[in-house]
Amino acid sequence: MSTESIEVSGVVTSANETSDVSVVTTPHTDQRTDGPAMGQRILDVRNFSIDYGWGEGAVRAVNNVDLHLNRSTVLGIAGESGSGKSTLVYGFTRLLRSPGVIVGGEALFNLGPSEDGTDNIIDLVTASEKELRSVRWSNISVVLQSALSALNPVLRVGTQFEQVLKTHRRDMSKADRRARTVELLALVGLNEDRLRRYPHELSGGQRQRVMIALALALDPELVIMDEPTTALDVVTQREIISKLYELRSRFGFAMIFITHDLSLLVELADEIVVMYAGAMVERASAQALYDTPRHPYTLGLLNSFPPMHGVRTELTGIPGSPPDLTDLPTGCNFHPRCPYAMDRCLKESPRLEELGEDGRSVACWLHSGDEGVVVPVELRRTGRGKREPIPMPVKEDVS
Amino acid sequence: MSDVTDLSEVIAGTVQLRARHLTRHFTTRTPGRGFNVKHIVRAVDDVSVDLVAGEVVAVVGESGSGKSVLARMLARIVRPTAGDLILRGTQIPRKAKRSLAYASQVQLVLQDPFSSMNPVHKMRHNLVRPLLIHGAKREDVEALAEAALTRVSLEPPSRFLDRYPHELSGGQLQRVSIARALCVEPRVLLADEPISMLDVSVRLGVLNLLRGLCDNDDLAILYITHDIASARYIADEVIVMYAGQVVEHSRGTVLVDEPTHPYTQLLIASVPDPADPTSVGAPTAEQVQMVIAEKGCRFNPRCPFVMDRCRVEEPPEFIVGENHTSRCWLHADKPQFEVEVALPQRRGGGEITKT
Amino acid sequence: MKKSRFPRSPKVILGLCIVGFFLLLTIFGPLLAPFSPDNTSFAPLLTPSAHHWFGTTSLGQDIFSQTLVGARATIVVALVAGLVATMLSMVVGISAGYIGGYTDDGLSLMSNVFLAIPGLPLLIVIDSYLPVNSRSNTLVIGLIISLTGWAWGARVIRAQTMSLRNRDFVEASRIIGEKRHRVMFFEVAPNLLPILASSLLFTLLYSIGAYVTLAYIGLTSTSVWNWGTMLFWAQNNNAPLSGEWYWFVPPGVCIALVGTGLALLNFGIDEFINPRLRAAGLSSKQRRKLGLPRRQRLGLTPVLRTKVTTPAPLATTKPVTT
Repeated sequence: MSTESIEVSGVVTSANETSDVSVVTTPHTDQRTDGPAMGQRILDVRNFSIDYGWGEGAVRAVNNVDLHLNRSTVLGIAGESGSGKSTLVYGFTRLLRSPGVIVGGEALFNLGPSEDGTDNIIDLVTASEKELRSVRWSNISVVLQSALSALNPVLRVGTQFEQVLKTHRRDMSKADRRARTVELLALVGLNEDRLRRYPHELSGGQRQRVMIALALALDPELVIMDEPTTALDVVTQREIISKLYELRSRFGFAMIFITHDLSLLVELADEIVVMYAGAMVERASAQALYDTPRHPYTLGLLNSFPPMHGVRTELTGIPGSPPDLTDLPTGCNFHPRCPYAMDRCLKESPRLEELGEDGRSVACWLHSGDEGVVVPVELRRTGRGKREPIPMPVKEDVS
Repeated sequence: MSDVTDLSEVIAGTVQLRARHLTRHFTTRTPGRGFNVKHIVRAVDDVSVDLVAGEVVAVVGESGSGKSVLARMLARIVRPTAGDLILRGTQIPRKAKRSLAYASQVQLVLQDPFSSMNPVHKMRHNLVRPLLIHGAKREDVEALAEAALTRVSLEPPSRFLDRYPHELSGGQLQRVSIARALCVEPRVLLADEPISMLDVSVRLGVLNLLRGLCDNDDLAILYITHDIASARYIADEVIVMYAGQVVEHSRGTVLVDEPTHPYTQLLIASVPDPADPTSVGAPTAEQVQMVIAEKGCRFNPRCPFVMDRCRVEEPPEFIVGENHTSRCWLHADKPQFEVEVALPQRRGGGEITKT
Repeated sequence: MKKSRFPRSPKVILGLCIVGFFLLLTIFGPLLAPFSPDNTSFAPLLTPSAHHWFGTTSLGQDIFSQTLVGARATIVVALVAGLVATMLSMVVGISAGYIGGYTDDGLSLMSNVFLAIPGLPLLIVIDSYLPVNSRSNTLVIGLIISLTGWAWGARVIRAQTMSLRNRDFVEASRIIGEKRHRVMFFEVAPNLLPILASSLLFTLLYSIGAYVTLAYIGLTSTSVWNWGTMLFWAQNNNAPLSGEWYWFVPPGVCIALVGTGLALLNFGIDEFINPRLRAAGLSSKQRRKLGLPRRQRLGLTPVLRTKVTTPAPLATTKPVTT
C-alpha cells in the first residue's frame, strides 16, 4: 500500500486504493486561524446547499453555507423556523429525509490520524452507504429533539443500548456490554434500575439523558444535539445543559448544538452562528456575539429575551415573522423586518464577509465598509457592554 | 357578543373572576398485587386567585405543577373537586354545567397554535362561529371578524380571513386564536402557555399584544408559563406553583427580584443568563423529575434547605412582605396568610347574568 | 384544505375509468341496449356473434341487452345501500366516539350485534318477510342491505373520532361555546372525510355482493333485470355445466370489474390520506433522469449536482407555489 501524501495547510490527503474510506484532496483556500480553541479541524462544510423538492417547485432551504468546527469545541447554531439550522445539519450527515436533496457543496469530516500519521478525511456528501455506516455513531452521533419519538417505545432502555453496542462493537461480550451500559447511564446521572424501564415510563428529562448516553456510547468525536432541551422545563433544561458541559469537559468531544434559544448558546458554546432563511448571517465567538452583535437580526434576537433584572420597559423585539421560503424577499432576506434597511438591501443580498475583528463574519451591507454607510451605534460596540437590552429603532409591524 | 344593553362598564381594578380553594384530584388505578391500586393525584390543591380587570396575573411552574388544570378549572371545562368560583360577584354552583353566558365572559387560549385550529376550516370560520353563537347578526359578522383581526394586529384582515391554518405562521395562528377568544368579548382571558411554541422573535409581539389588551381594554388576563422571565415582563402579580400548590405569590416583580421560596430560587437560577456565563457549572437540584413527597412539604426531596419539620408537616403560606407570601418553614416566624373566606350574596338561582 | 391534487397514480386513474364507465352504463345502459332484455324472439343459446354480442339465453333473450339493462338496477341498489349504510355508520360512529359513556356503550353494543349476526342469513330472513310486491322495489332492497352493512364502518369511524376528540381544535370549539352536535358534525366529521370515503367505497363493494347474492338465490323479483338475476337464470338452466359460458361470464366479469374499480379507488384514497405513500410528486422515470435513486433511502440523502456549479443566485423571489 504505497501512499503519496500531499500536505496542504494542515489537511493531509492521501491516495489509497485499498482503503475503505474515500479520501479527497482539499486545498484550503482560507487560512483561517480563527476559533477560540485553536486545534485541528474536525469538520469542514463548504458551499453547502440543500433544496426541498426538485425541478420547478424546489425550495432553497440552505443556501451556500460554510461551517467549520475544531476538535473539542462547541458550535452553536441559532435560528428560528425556516432558518435551515436543522436542515443543514441533517443534510451534511446525510440524514435528511425526502424531499430534501443536497444540491451543492461538500462536508469534510476528519476521522483522525491513520496508521501512517496522515489524517483520514471523508467527504460525507460523496461517501458511500458503507462509509457512512462506519462513521455513524462511532464518530458522529446525534441527539434528537424529541426523545420519546427517537427511542423505540417497545424496547426497554437496556435493550436499546445492547443493540447499539452489539451493532458497532461486535467483539464485546455480553457482560462487557452490560458494564458499559451501566457506566454510560452513570455518566448521565441515571440509576442502573432505569435499564429495565420502557421509554414511556421515564420523564422527559430522563429520556433525554438516555439519548445523550446512547449518543456517547461509542466515544464519538462529534456529537450533534438538535434542540435537545426544547421540550423540557427550565429546571430540567438547566440540569441537562450542566451535564453536557461536564461530559464535554471530561471526554473532549466536539459538539454542535442547534437551538432557537440563543441564551442557552451563550453559556454553552464557544462559537455561535446565526442563521436566517437558509443563510448564515453572523458568526462570532459566543461572548462577542452576545456583547457586541453586528447583525441587526442578532441584535433583535438578543432583544427578544425579557431580562431578569432591571427596570421593566417595553421591548419590541423584531416585527413581522420569519419569511416563507417559497416567497423570499428580494435582496437581503431580512430587510422587511430590519430597522436599518437601506436601498442596497432591497436589491442585493449580502454575502458573509469577515470583519476585521478576530474570527467574526457578518452578512450585512452595514458592515461592507462602503462610503456613506454609517454603522449604527448599537452594531459597532466594542468590549463588554451593559447587561440591559441594547435598544434598536422601532420598525412598524410588517405582518 | 356582548349584550348591547350591558350598562355596567368594566372598571379597571375590579375583581372579575375569583377562585377560592380550588382543588382537583384525579384517581388513577394502576395494577397492583391482586387488584388495582388506587392512587390519588392531587393535581391542584387549595389554590386561590383573583383576576382583576386591567391586570395580568402570571402563574409560573413546571409541567405537572397543575397550572394547566387550574386554567381549565377557571374556564370551567374541568370540574373542580372542591372550591368556589365567583364570577363578577356571583357564585357559580359547582355542579352546574358550563353555560353559554359563562363562556361569553371567560375565554381560554391554548398553547399549540398549530393544533388549535381545525385544518379543514378557513380562519373566517373560526371567527364567525363565536360571533354567531354569542348573538351577533349575520350581516354584521364579516365586519366584526375583521375588527377582531385588526385588534390583534393582523392587517389587512381580509388577507387572513380566507387562509387555511397551514398557510399561516405560528405567531399569526396564535393571534387568530386570541382574536377568536376576543370575539365573544370576554371579561377574562386565560392564556395557557401562549408563546412557548412560537419562534423567539415572535414571542414578544404576542406578549405585548396581551399586555396591550389588558391596558387598553381592561381585560383580566391569566398568563400561564414555565418561563419566569416572560412572567416578570408582563405580570402585575406572579404566582409560583409546585405540585399543585401555590408556593410563592407576590405583586409585581418582587418575588423574581427577591425570591423567598427555595423552588422559586431554583427556577430563577435555571434561567439561562447570558450576563453571567459562570452559572452553567452551578450546582442544581439533584433529582431530575418532579418528585412530590407524600408527607410534609412537597418540595422537600429537592430542597437544599430542607429541615426535619419539612419532611413531616406541610407548611402553610406565610406573609413575608407586603403582598408577598411564601409557603416555606424557613419563614415560620412570620404571620400566616389566610385567604378571606366570606362569599358574596348569591343572586337569583345561581345563574350568571351579565349585569 | 389543500387543493385536491389530481391523483397521478396509474392505479387510481384506472379505478376512476372503470367506475366512471359503469356509472355511464347505469345512466345510458337501457338506451344503448339493442333489444329489450325480455324479448324472447331470438333463437335460444346462440354463441356470441355479430348479431348478438354475448349470445342468447335458453329462452332466446339477448344477453348483451340484459347486461346493459341490468347494470342500472345493480348499481343503483349498490349506491343506495352504500350511501345509507355510510350515513348510518357515520352518525353512529361519531356519536359513540365523541359522546362516550353510556351512549358509546349502547351504540357499540348495537354495532357489535350487527357485526356478529351473519349478514346473508339476516338478509334472507328480512327479505322473506317482505311483501312480494316490494321485492321489486330497488329502494327497499337497498335499505335492507344497508342494515347489514353499516356496522363495520361505524367501528372504524368511532375509533378515529376518539382520537380526534382530544385534539386542541375540538377543545377550542367547545370553549367558545359550540353545541355538541355542531362540534361532532362540523368540526370532527370534516376531518374524517378520507375515512368516510374509504368506508363508502368498501360498503359499495359489499352492497353489490349482497344484492347479487340475494338475486342469485332468487329472493328478489325477477321482473327487475340485474346481473344477479342473470346469474340466477343461468344457474337454473345449468349453464355452467352445459358450457354456456357466454350466459354467466358477462355479468360475472362486470361485477368483478366494478369491484376492482372500487378497490383501486380505495388505494388512491389511502395515498391521499398518507402523503408519504405518494411518489413525492415525481415518477420513477423523472427521478432517473435527474440522477436520483429510484426510491428514497432513509439515511442516505440524495445528492443532486445541477449543471450550474455556482450557487444559485440569492436575490431571486421564488414564485409562490402553494
